[in-house]
Amino acid sequence: MKKFLTEFSINHPWLVIVGMVLVTVFFAAQLPNIKIDTDPENMLEADEPARVFDHQVKEEFSLYDFIAVGVVDEKGAFNKQLLTDVYRIMEEVAEIDGVIADDILAPSMVEDIKQTDGVLTVKTLLAEEPKSDEEARYILGRIKDNPILRGKLASDDGKAIAMFIPIESKNMSHRIAGEIQEIIDRHSHGEQYFIAGLPVAEDSFGAEMFKQMAVSAPLAGLIIFLLMLLFFRNFKIVLAPMIVAVVSVIWAMGLLIFTGHTVHIMSSMIPIFLIPIAVLNSIHIISEFHDRYQKHKHKKTTIRNTISELFIPILFTTITTIVGFLSLALTPIPPVRVFGIFVAFGILVAWFLSVTFNPAFAVLMSDKTLRNFGKTEDERGPLSRIMHFFRDFNRRYYKGVIFGAGVVVVIAAVGLSLIVVNDNPVKWFKQNHPLRVADRILNQHLAGTYMNYLVFDGHDEDAMKNPEVLHYIENMQRHLEKNRIVGATTGVTDIVKKIRYELYNADPAKFALPDNQDEVAQDLFLFEISGGNPDDLFKFITEDYAKANLWVQLKEGDNQSVVSVVDAAKNYLAENPPPVAIDVNWAGLPYVNVVWQEKMVGGMRSALLSSFAVVFIMMIFLFRSVLLGFISMLPLSITIMAIYGAIGFIGKPYDMPVAVLSSLTLGLSIDFAIHFIKRTKYIHERTGDFKQTYPEIFEGLARAISRNVLVIAIGFVPMFFSSLVPYITVGSFFFAIMMVSGAVTMLLLPSIFIMMRKRLLPDATVVKDNVVENVAKS
Amino acid sequence: MNFKRTFSVTAVLLLIGAAGLFAQDNRALDLMKQAHLNLYYAGDDGIAEVKMTIVNSKGKERQREFAMLRLDLEDGGRQDYYTYFRQPSDVSRLTFMVHKMPDASDNRWLYVPSVDLVKRISADDKNSSFVGSDFTYEDVSGRHWSEDNHKLLREDTYNGRPVYVVESIPKESYKGFARKVTIIDKEYILPVREEYYDKKDKLERVFTVEKIESIDGIQTPTLRKIENVQKNQYTTVEFTNIDYNVNVKENVFTERFLKNPPREFIK
Repeated sequence: MKKFLTEFSINHPWLVIVGMVLVTVFFAAQLPNIKIDTDPENMLEADEPARVFDHQVKEEFSLYDFIAVGVVDEKGAFNKQLLTDVYRIMEEVAEIDGVIADDILAPSMVEDIKQTDGVLTVKTLLAEEPKSDEEARYILGRIKDNPILRGKLASDDGKAIAMFIPIESKNMSHRIAGEIQEIIDRHSHGEQYFIAGLPVAEDSFGAEMFKQMAVSAPLAGLIIFLLMLLFFRNFKIVLAPMIVAVVSVIWAMGLLIFTGHTVHIMSSMIPIFLIPIAVLNSIHIISEFHDRYQKHKHKKTTIRNTISELFIPILFTTITTIVGFLSLALTPIPPVRVFGIFVAFGILVAWFLSVTFNPAFAVLMSDKTLRNFGKTEDERGPLSRIMHFFRDFNRRYYKGVIFGAGVVVVIAAVGLSLIVVNDNPVKWFKQNHPLRVADRILNQHLAGTYMNYLVFDGHDEDAMKNPEVLHYIENMQRHLEKNRIVGATTGVTDIVKKIRYELYNADPAKFALPDNQDEVAQDLFLFEISGGNPDDLFKFITEDYAKANLWVQLKEGDNQSVVSVVDAAKNYLAENPPPVAIDVNWAGLPYVNVVWQEKMVGGMRSALLSSFAVVFIMMIFLFRSVLLGFISMLPLSITIMAIYGAIGFIGKPYDMPVAVLSSLTLGLSIDFAIHFIKRTKYIHERTGDFKQTYPEIFEGLARAISRNVLVIAIGFVPMFFSSLVPYITVGSFFFAIMMVSGAVTMLLLPSIFIMMRKRLLPDATVVKDNVVENVAKS
Repeated sequence: MNFKRTFSVTAVLLLIGAAGLFAQDNRALDLMKQAHLNLYYAGDDGIAEVKMTIVNSKGKERQREFAMLRLDLEDGGRQDYYTYFRQPSDVSRLTFMVHKMPDASDNRWLYVPSVDLVKRISADDKNSSFVGSDFTYEDVSGRHWSEDNHKLLREDTYNGRPVYVVESIPKESYKGFARKVTIIDKEYILPVREEYYDKKDKLERVFTVEKIESIDGIQTPTLRKIENVQKNQYTTVEFTNIDYNVNVKENVFTERFLKNPPREFIK
């Protein structure tokens, strides 16, 4: 097959190029149909129980995702001017398309239950603009005296005012947050307003990510192009791998869109993953072509020989990388599956083009263009000098290198044990991003911007009017509130207590749950007959009183923190059986995030292990030796251990991007080992003498590997400066994978070969000397 | 010369137009007043059993049953209501009393049987929900005709009967609605449909009379429905055992009777 593909391409270059252009035009025509999906919830299958339950709870209690808005004034936020601003801002915010105006939590939008002179009143807390500072301070007092509002609308010290703005759909939050900001800018008098909340973080991340993509992928491509130009000093030749990269991106994305998939956060990263991988093979080919051309001075011969020597290694590195990404198809996370499958497809395209288009393109080049190609004194260039240093270093210290690798493995194992699995979409933004700042400040002042819901299902009508059940819920609240990150819990219990307290003329002794079921029912009825909005009540209890919804407000959205609260509830349930049969389950965005995260971690682990096994078997087959197969797995194993060990030591949480990158690490790291071992064997077949083989490894082969390392690693350096943390992570990973696996390959493999030279590269091999090259020439 | 003539012709036309409008306004006002009296002040007093069904957007129902006693002290003016709850059973014996004041906030009292306590409750917000239903307090006791400017839009037919169509706009900006269109049955002078529009002139609530029965010669809407079309939920009220002019005394509408309902009327 390899002969056929290459021969065909060399003999019919225009056919290959025209064919490629036609297919590319077809796929490019699909790109305008792109449908974007930035909802992280879609990380879960549509029928995932946790997600279904979350939707059901939101539907049942008419709950919506919130945008949190806050204003902080260290001198005290409850003054006439600031509260007037807030009043006017909310009047306009309520009109924004997509805002659920009836459910806004803000001083001018919520009802307060109070009794004055023996008259019970349920009315809007701040019905009109405050007339004085005293009135503003009175409002603060009312908020603090109302367990339903406390910590939500104001900080207890009165330095912050907050508003929670429910929205129809998460996908609107970035736009709505922008409109809110615009309204704030028109009304504020220079105070600091903050906009936070998970939906905004998630949706804004999606919006910002696509902008980043438009910059990052082309920028990486440009730098890779410039670096190749620097190495090979021939614009036209270097153009070929770039064309291969761009075309494979267009095919992959075109097919993805053509097959009706949405472009999710994950799939938006396909170009950035594909470009370097696509370029890799081409660099090997050009590098080899570059090193040989001046020897043969004949285009077609050079191409034939180059492809002939590289076909098998390139095929295998391609398949291993594809295996790495295809393993993602085993994860339980749909967008990750789509990502894995289409990256794999793109890699296949890139391989196909590099063995067809590359030769075709090279044949069409005039001999004039190539006259000086490869003439640079590579054997004495800086890259060669570094490689020669490696050569001599290994020769002298090969035992030390092997020992060092062992030490690295041990240290990395310690680091691995320190890895903390954690994620928080808000932290996908950098520390100083306005959303991060808002998150920090609001959660410092208020009861929290992360809303989870704990639903008690008593199955029977009126089950939640049972005083024993209410006491049980109240005790659960006190138990959860012991957790540092639980800012407040609010339930029907609090409404009953508040009504009772006001009914008895604000008698603190009556701020407690009644022991009689009729009294519970009548207290709640009192709320409704006093003009309380029933919609407010039914956010905490269902109309048939069978289920209660406890709002659990968290100050942190880190999965670890959320899990600690979930565990606290679990423990409470285990130690305190409910008085009647009750199902207790969680809902809410932070909880849903925890669920998909756990699936992601588990899914990634099995994906990594299974692709590791597949690659190992492939290597044994490729090298026809268990020993060589084992040795070839060392660089990638050490690279993965070193990188993930470092993550453990640094304390960087194992989050979504880190998890996905493990398969990339595997797919890329194995490449160098394959090239190294396969081509070392070729060299040795030719020389038959380890003394000659060994130095030659550090010529063309080493240069190709080191060029690859530098081109890809440096190509991703600009991503270090991205405003989004996952992009920094991806960029750093590419950099680290290249550097570490390149170094391990060039240090450890030669050292092992030296140590085991009798076994791996025995001198007794019959010298085939130039047979291959002679055949090719004729 | 030319200008002067044009001007005077225009002025005359405007005057005629304004007079016409004025006349129509008066007619609209009269219609609204009569319709209000027919709906809310039928007879001198009255009693009925009421069954209220609240249906939310998910189709879930809640029921309330109560007996209602009314005394008009002045047609279109002061009026007293007494409500005795029967269902849901856990609020049975809870009673509720309103003194409706024409020019001031109403007075409302509530008796909570489980703790044997009478509590006054505020009536500042006429637009708030009545016992958790889609009816507001104002829907239950009526909005005084003098609070809005009325305009007779047209005469029409509705459900095969001749009707007037009147548009009302609150004189002072009002949270409850920005515009209301009332369809008044020509024969009975009873509102049979009311459409409430919000600030953005989007239809928000629709009140309809589903059934009219003649009781003691008085045309009485016995099945009424109010639908919140924006929230996609509605409430119906069904009146049974209606009796007019039962001769209820004013002293029934005092705190004393809150704890012990007047047994001659409420069994």
